[in-house]
Amino acid sequence: MFSRHISDRLAAYIEEARDANLIEQHLAECERCRAEYVQVRTGIDALQHLPLAVAPASIWNSIESALVGSPKRPVFSPWKLGLATIAALIIVGGAYWIITRSNARWEVDGLAGSPVVGTQHISRAGRVGAGEWVETDARSSARIRIGDIGSVVLSPNTRARVLATRPQEHRIALAHGEIQAKISAPPRLFFVDTASGTAVDLGCEYSLYTEENGSGLMRVTRGWVSFQRNGRESLVPAGASCRTRPHAGAGTPYFDDASESLRRAVDDFDEKPGADALTEILAGARVRDTLTLWHLLPRVAAADRGRVYDRIAALTPVPAGISKEKVLNLDSETLTHWKDELAWTW
Amino acid sequence: MLRFAVATSVFAAVAMADGFTFTIGSPVAAQEAQFKTAAFAFRTEHCAEPAKSQITATAEGIVHGARRSVALKVAALQRPGVYAVFQTWGDGGQWVVVLKGECENETAGAIVPIGPKGFIRESSKFFPRPAKGPEVDASLKSLVEGESK
Repeated sequence: MFSRHISDRLAAYIEEARDANLIEQHLAECERCRAEYVQVRTGIDALQHLPLAVAPASIWNSIESALVGSPKRPVFSPWKLGLATIAALIIVGGAYWIITRSNARWEVDGLAGSPVVGTQHISRAGRVGAGEWVETDARSSARIRIGDIGSVVLSPNTRARVLATRPQEHRIALAHGEIQAKISAPPRLFFVDTASGTAVDLGCEYSLYTEENGSGLMRVTRGWVSFQRNGRESLVPAGASCRTRPHAGAGTPYFDDASESLRRAVDDFDEKPGADALTEILAGARVRDTLTLWHLLPRVAAADRGRVYDRIAALTPVPAGISKEKVLNLDSETLTHWKDELAWTW
Repeated sequence: MLRFAVATSVFAAVAMADGFTFTIGSPVAAQEAQFKTAAFAFRTEHCAEPAKSQITATAEGIVHGARRSVALKVAALQRPGVYAVFQTWGDGGQWVVVLKGECENETAGAIVPIGPKGFIRESSKFFPRPAKGPEVDASLKSLVEGESK
């Protein structure tokens, strides 16, 4: 992990995900760099939203003339300098307008006790903006209204930071504690960052508990949630949960009504993948537990993948068009198709 | 005679296996966020032109001892042949959702009991024709007896 501040690395991380692992570990622990991350990200996003202005054809004639002309001619004539200044002011003004319009402040309701918003204790209501913290103690709780798409309730002993309040990105970071999110919006508008990964709303209601180190539990009550980290994803539907682990991201999801032995075996497998835990999972799986089995396909050793495939096939017919060979080779299109079909049994 | 009966049963099972029918699933199977609060999703099977199928749904229930029936709106999803129904029959009482479908010259029916935690997959019944009144009553009776235990 980077021990020093990473200001000069943030742009490359945002645009190219360079050193993503190390950057994310540092951001999880460095408040100053997290604040800078918000600013840099806001600036990059604002530039991307600026309208593209097409230069008039005549401008090229004047540029060519300037290049071909006498060396004694001034590079910038006064009127061109004036035009450039006006254009720069328009761009800066537009960026400022986009930034201020995009970073709305969300309402915070005090549900119990006296939660802290920013540096202020609130009794009933307050507002929180990007970069600010909301914190509850053992006797307080709060509800953050996430724009007009839903709300997040902070249980006692919870600390969360608002990272983005833009129409296309509503994002908070959960440092520790528990939240219950209720979102009514198209998918992928609401995100919760934790030390072990990001919960991406796909249209859902869920609770998410995390400790400072990222270990925790996500439980979905409606819709779906995707929990992602470094390309590893767990899709968790209503009625299911998945554990999160420090630096390992999302665990293998399982239905809450799965047998205790299966749930225990899943936890054992996620801690230390092994044949014994896998055998226990396969033996205890019902039709509905194909949710767990499907997620295991890319997580088990290649030599064990056939066992997982065979168990799913024994529980529910393999749809036409699903090739065993492609499944064993983790063909993404095949796996997605199979997941879409299996979802009818979840 | 016995051979004829066996052959007929096998034929009927095969015909039903390949005939127009429904598959039900939780709202997540619909994969469209706006349907996450639906009571359940369902799709037609073995229908050559699912977009042209005619589907209706009613909620049949017993509330405070009185029989109730509520017509439901069937929401069509983007994928042809996939639908969702929402709980618009109110709280209280015991309810089943009765599906009826027509695809070309075939019909199908289903009775989907609704429990405290949502639709009850294991108790759902499927038919190669519309469900009959006594079948609906039987499902409701099972629900009432199940909840009174």
